[in-house]
Amino acid sequence: MKGHVDFSKILTETDADSQYELWATVAEVIEAEEMPPEDEPPLSGKDKNTILNWHRQRLAAPIEERPGVFRPRRLSGPEYRNTLHSLFGFELKVAVVEAEQTVVGEQSLVMKLLPTDPPGESGFINDTHGARLSAVIWDQYTQLAGAALEKLFSKKERDQLGHLIGAPLQEEWTTAEFSAAQAEQLIRTFVPRAWRRPVADDQLAKILTALDGKQGEALVAATKFELKAVLMSPSFLYRGVLMQAEPDKQQQVDPFELAERLSYFLWEDQPDTELMKLAGDGSISDPAVVAAQVTRMLQSPKARSLSESFGAQWLLIGNLDELLLKNPIRLHALKTQPLDFLNYLFTEDRSVMEIIDSKVTFVNQGTQGFYGKDRKRMKRITVPKGIERSRTPNQRLTLEHAEGRGGILTMPGILTMNIGPIQRGTWMLRQILGEQLGEPPADIPAIQPSPPGENLSFRQRFEAHRSDASCARCHEKIDPLGFALDGYDQNGKFTLASDQAKGEKPPPPIDTSGKLPTGEAFKDFAELKAILMTSQRETIVRNIVEHTLAYALGRKLVRSDQPTVDRITKNLCENDGTWKSLFVQIANSLPFRETIIVTSQKKNHE
Amino acid sequence: MSKHWNIERRTFLRGAAGALIPLPFLNLMESAAGAASRDLAGKAKPPVRFVTLFKPNGVHPPSWNINGGVENDFRMSPLMQPFAKHKDDLLILDNMGDFGFSSHSNSTRRFLSGHHTNSKSASLDQLIADKIKGETAHRSLELTTDGLFTNQIGCSYISYDKKGAPIPRESDPQLVFDRLFRNPMYDPKQRGQITSLLDRVRDDARALQRKTGREDSETLDEYFTVLRETEQRLENMKPAAVPQGIDFSKLKRPESTSNLDEQVNAMLDIIAMALWTDSTRCISYMLGNSNSRMIFDFLGIKKQHHYLSHFFRNFSRSNIDALLKISLWHMEKFDRLLTRLKSYKDQNGSLLDHSVVLFGSGMGHSDNHTAQRIPIVLAGKGGGILKTGRYLRYSENQELGRLHLTLLQKFGVSEDTFANASAPLPGLDGGAFDEYHERPFDSWVKTGNGKITVQGRLRMSDDLDEAKIFYIDVKDKPTVRIDVSFRDFHKFNLAYHVGTPIVLSGNRSERKGQLVLTKVTDLKSLFGNSKPGGAKG
Repeated sequence: MKGHVDFSKILTETDADSQYELWATVAEVIEAEEMPPEDEPPLSGKDKNTILNWHRQRLAAPIEERPGVFRPRRLSGPEYRNTLHSLFGFELKVAVVEAEQTVVGEQSLVMKLLPTDPPGESGFINDTHGARLSAVIWDQYTQLAGAALEKLFSKKERDQLGHLIGAPLQEEWTTAEFSAAQAEQLIRTFVPRAWRRPVADDQLAKILTALDGKQGEALVAATKFELKAVLMSPSFLYRGVLMQAEPDKQQQVDPFELAERLSYFLWEDQPDTELMKLAGDGSISDPAVVAAQVTRMLQSPKARSLSESFGAQWLLIGNLDELLLKNPIRLHALKTQPLDFLNYLFTEDRSVMEIIDSKVTFVNQGTQGFYGKDRKRMKRITVPKGIERSRTPNQRLTLEHAEGRGGILTMPGILTMNIGPIQRGTWMLRQILGEQLGEPPADIPAIQPSPPGENLSFRQRFEAHRSDASCARCHEKIDPLGFALDGYDQNGKFTLASDQAKGEKPPPPIDTSGKLPTGEAFKDFAELKAILMTSQRETIVRNIVEHTLAYALGRKLVRSDQPTVDRITKNLCENDGTWKSLFVQIANSLPFRETIIVTSQKKNHE
Repeated sequence: MSKHWNIERRTFLRGAAGALIPLPFLNLMESAAGAASRDLAGKAKPPVRFVTLFKPNGVHPPSWNINGGVENDFRMSPLMQPFAKHKDDLLILDNMGDFGFSSHSNSTRRFLSGHHTNSKSASLDQLIADKIKGETAHRSLELTTDGLFTNQIGCSYISYDKKGAPIPRESDPQLVFDRLFRNPMYDPKQRGQITSLLDRVRDDARALQRKTGREDSETLDEYFTVLRETEQRLENMKPAAVPQGIDFSKLKRPESTSNLDEQVNAMLDIIAMALWTDSTRCISYMLGNSNSRMIFDFLGIKKQHHYLSHFFRNFSRSNIDALLKISLWHMEKFDRLLTRLKSYKDQNGSLLDHSVVLFGSGMGHSDNHTAQRIPIVLAGKGGGILKTGRYLRYSENQELGRLHLTLLQKFGVSEDTFANASAPLPGLDGGAFDEYHERPFDSWVKTGNGKITVQGRLRMSDDLDEAKIFYIDVKDKPTVRIDVSFRDFHKFNLAYHVGTPIVLSGNRSERKGQLVLTKVTDLKSLFGNSKPGGAKG
């Protein structure tokens, strides 16, 4: 059932284009005569042809590559947290004692106070267009800005304040000695960094005038107030409100906007000094400079955000949080494994397809049991006396003997997070192959038990169950992928491995063979993986490009992004391209570097 | 109604000698709103408040539905027992819903937005909030227990703003308490600074707006709206306006909670306190996301609520028992809210008398997701806009949008349509409505030779601790008890027939003078299928 599409809301050609993936489904169900439903009059042959022809023409029509129409975006929770951290040089934390095997909850004061961002239409939380500023969020911002400024002027952060003022403060210095010169220096350093671009003299002058004639504690109070106003201004809270651009014209974004786009893409954070310098002299507009910056930025620890935010949201790794809430040590093991692996792919210039198959993995004490003989090559970790159980860091491990491993699909965390063949197949189809599946219908009958005297496997019973045509549409795509993983149990253990411990009962035979709707047949998961690496390669690369571009742009892709996706996909497929190459190509792509600002009331928001 | 209400509040507070105000509040203190409006106009009416409590994951219809009742003569169902004591304050609606099946996400939007396609409009609570906010410090509160269910984000929200965007919810009782009662806006020293800050950032934003000259300034509009709201709040939170001299510092801040039960109890207490202090007049609270995966370990249950709610496809005796335990817990929370609201005086009545509480879910049958017979109960007379103590079962399915439209109109919001509804729902104020009529049937019992045959309506036990016991009421005779093995229960699918008239034959015994059917040999449905078809339940 694909239902619930309200076509009456699609009024203009632009609306229609923004729904371009919908039309493929519409054409498919009309061609298969699944729609209209039986209780509605059928389409005449003529109407049917009109619709299908329109779709074919539309698809075939050349698509003009354009940037999306610009709209400012509020910082997401993690972006706000990181930006505040970089700006002040310290983190705001919740007072809580950490202990092993104990769930402490959110430790960042920012993340605790701000409501959790819902994913936007793009599926990523940095797409904050749907998460509007509210009075509650406003109050929390006020509180957070206040807390950060209190801390900046506290004795503990003396060095940090000295750093912002540009001259170290002596041990015995007190805020009573805060001078007009120091206040001015602080403002001149802080405001452009907070707003992520140079600030006009008249604006700085306005702030400085407010401090005139004040001294000591009164000056501290006035300075705090001015800085708080800076942090509560739209110029800080939103990305892009200060962008310099001519209205109604497609154009390159200004250098500071480009620096900001790059740093929030790769770091989820504001631009650092070097990016600001390159924006200041304009050299960042050179694609070669951008490429060099991507290389540099990927080496920074801040690039970890690519796996922690982009990777985790794309692959829904956060689903493990709730599942393993009560077992923090296991959660840590199962979650950091794919994250460390993604971080390795993203930051060490690995091929994009290595996500499917790789000789490298990351293992700690919680996951080593899955890696057979290979684990013997791990460094031993001795647990200090008196410690019962603790989380251990992952070690990089080259796979030599472990069967059924390599790549993200068979990582224990991913297999645990998706329960049973249907969830596993659906996840692979949506997140890896990029297939748009509708919601399953609600009135699914229960799966029947084996008839008396027959001992049918779940797979056999399930196949009888879903023989209905409307179920089969999706299930013929989902099931072969999911059942191919039946050799892995619910914890992700590979039960078909040949090196089962002696004396262990041989596992019952499991049918993990299948055939994709595109025709390729396989006898087990290893063969399916080989198919994914070859004939499904382009599909997977395209899906990777689409997700990465949507994250980089902080918005859902629209039809005019297709040429960009096509070009990058082709390039990566032809050159066995790497993640770094993907990031560079996106950073130098038209939708990333250009913009259109519409001043008329046309609605086609970026 | 007690005369002790005349006790002076300040005396009481002093009497409490620095101790924190105890919970539950004694039935002594006038609500801030009631007294304030009386001071002004001598005899003004207290404002009407609106509270919604959302129950996740639909219901188990055999234990929830009222069957065979009419408007003024009905028997509350087994699941309703925890709040049966409030019968006179309830308006129980039946045959509310939509057609067909619905996803969790769609049913969540339906609960306060009438229909899932009504996605560009504010939800009911928000429209009412705009109307009744008066000069309260907080226009509305949007509360929940659960985190975000990001796979289907719609499951996590019932309240939507005027563009149809979800409104962030708060789940931590301490954070809500602090926002209401520890707000810096009540601090004279900090107020001046807040005002200056608002002025300063507004100047900045205006400068930006002028500079860009963009008509496409939706983002800045959103920013200005929040500035205006904050300013309004500041105005409404003058220290002088702190209601009735209630010293907020004396209100007890909830302890940090260690399980769901404590968390919800703390939040329900805050809800009552927020209304009593007239800090807000409109609150929406979700007891969980629509497809909540919560585990009720404090009830000794290890399986997820959503899994259990699919009680047919995941059928087992222990799963049903667990689901009913969870459902009863939800009903107890509704009871707690009503009891709290009744414990506060509000002019010549209780807070509940001047409130409308909307309790329910967005779907009916939790296993097959039908949108019909959605559980909806209204509580409180709303200052006279509702006539309570009744059960309205409509002859035909009524879209929730019609109920919403009626409530909007009753609250003075001048709307002619809401979602798909263009006509209000009749009967809520005691007016005429088209009542459901059942086909009449006889009830009788015949016995002989250790056998029994009984005809009548099958119902579940009122006591859900013995959920495997059923009854058939017989006219002018004692009720017949059905106490059979799980095998019979399953084979004849007794749960399917609950609420409908059947003829049941089997073996007989007696218990305390009551006839008991101990083994089923035959079951015939009077009007429906004796054997339910397939698994569509």
